Amino acid sequence: MTSLSEGASPNSDALPMLQMDLDIQDFCSDWSHCDLMSGYLARMVSHNRLDSLLFSNLYSSALNELLETVFRTHGVNGTLHCAVQRIDNRDRIELVFPVDDATYSIYHEAIETLGREDAETQYLEALFADREPDPNLGLLELGVDYGAKLAIERRENGTMRLVADLRLEDKTE
Amino acid sequence: MIADGMAPSFDWSFNENDQEFSLTGSLRPQRADELSGCLSELERSVSGVSGKFYVNVRRLVRMNNVAFHTFACKILDLVRGRSDLNVHVTTSSVVGWATRKFAVLETMSDQITVSEYDSEFYPGQTFLEEGGFIPILRTQTKLTWHHERTMLARHGLEPEMQVADICCGIGDFAVLLQKEYQPSRLVALDHSRSSLDYARKVAHDFGVRGIDYVFGDASDMLLESDQFDFVTCRHSLQVFDRPELILKELFRICKPGGRVYITNEKNSHCLGEPRSETIQRTYTEVARLWSHFNMDIELGPKSRRYLIEGGFEDIKMESFMVTNLDGNPQDFADIIQSWEDVYAGQMAVERGDSAEEIKAFRQGFQDHIFAALHPKGYAGWPIWVASGRKPQ
Repeated sequence: MTSLSEGASPNSDALPMLQMDLDIQDFCSDWSHCDLMSGYLARMVSHNRLDSLLFSNLYSSALNELLETVFRTHGVNGTLHCAVQRIDNRDRIELVFPVDDATYSIYHEAIETLGREDAETQYLEALFADREPDPNLGLLELGVDYGAKLAIERRENGTMRLVADLRLEDKTE
Repeated sequence: MIADGMAPSFDWSFNENDQEFSLTGSLRPQRADELSGCLSELERSVSGVSGKFYVNVRRLVRMNNVAFHTFACKILDLVRGRSDLNVHVTTSSVVGWATRKFAVLETMSDQITVSEYDSEFYPGQTFLEEGGFIPILRTQTKLTWHHERTMLARHGLEPEMQVADICCGIGDFAVLLQKEYQPSRLVALDHSRSSLDYARKVAHDFGVRGIDYVFGDASDMLLESDQFDFVTCRHSLQVFDRPELILKELFRICKPGGRVYITNEKNSHCLGEPRSETIQRTYTEVARLWSHFNMDIELGPKSRRYLIEGGFEDIKMESFMVTNLDGNPQDFADIIQSWEDVYAGQMAVERGDSAEEIKAFRQGFQDHIFAALHPKGYAGWPIWVASGRKPQ
């Protein structure tokens, strides 16, 4: 089914801890859905972390940026599938959602930027740009500031898969 | 866990006296224009200020890139247009993302500085963390638990409750509480990372599971309101220069009908026989010494007043004396020796006491130890326990 994959490997055998599926139009009907979903999921996956409060806040911030990116940049019809996994000390967020060529190119551009040596400079320029922030600023932040490994994969059914691997804690109990 | 109920949106305020603009809550707008009111107030605040302008984001729990971009660009505009202006951003490490995110502002202008509010959290923290205090804290807890084990039930603690131990230190009290009372949930919070590291290691080594050790500022917690049946805070109001702020937070996180349990000392009432006079003189001096560093080691008997003024009802209060007869007298002597090391060896030196004054100060501790180890001696360390119920 896969036609294109970029960035870190998005494949994993780990089972999802939590999964939420909702219609992309329902999701995009209210901006606060990003905050509510990220807050809820962060809380659910943080209870057994070394410092649950700190972890929850970082996780929520990272997931919120991903969801806000999808909110702004997605295809017209379909389902937003959001699944979270944990493999050892690595937390994986997987988003699958409808895209067209134009929207996919925004994700593609971010992954390409993050693969460059001057990714941090690019991120800072975008962060302090005089214009409205680019729609992929959140992805650049995750890649540079959070050290997340991002990967995208375009599928033949008109969707794409965005995977973010995060290490938010140095140690576990 | 972050306080959804506490910070559903964001707020701002300007303290003209401190030239400080504070942002609080959760800032995740869809568009920059949602922040226009706040930005106008920021501009208005800056217009009346020269020199240093403080931006306090310690209680800004969440912030998306739309908000950061908007505020960061505004702050840069302000300093670029005003050579007389310096902006200092104060973040909190408790929030996690904030320092890293705001620190990039420093790279954009030498008129902007960013620092974490942490190191000066409470006056005694440095003494306690750097004073090799951990072994002695364990001994202290062992001796106080001897009394508090049953006392806690009299103050309303029951199995299966949701419990928070605030200012948990090295976490040994939380472990004992977990074993004895088996709460359904136990959150232990402290502002010392080294103490929490130790606490987690001990819990792991002892196979104790279920204690959620979290880093946080007791006077400004990110825990949600109204969620714990029983909140403990031991020996901590006395080491904080503004105990009423901690008490306010203990009240907030306690469920209506739940209870807050505090313990504190009155060090000038430490006693011993023989050699009572030098002992008393030294501990009276201890009270003065702590006062010099804005801490009140005499707070114990004032607990009732603090609880009443904090809005609690049904206040229960009692005291107990840890003595050399509670177990091995050497344990008691070890505690006193550690006090001497920190109080006379560090704090009095920092206060600027003369060598002669320090020598006399040390004598009372040595005499207390003498009394504790004397076959016919008696040595005591009094502690006041108080609890209050949060009204329904």
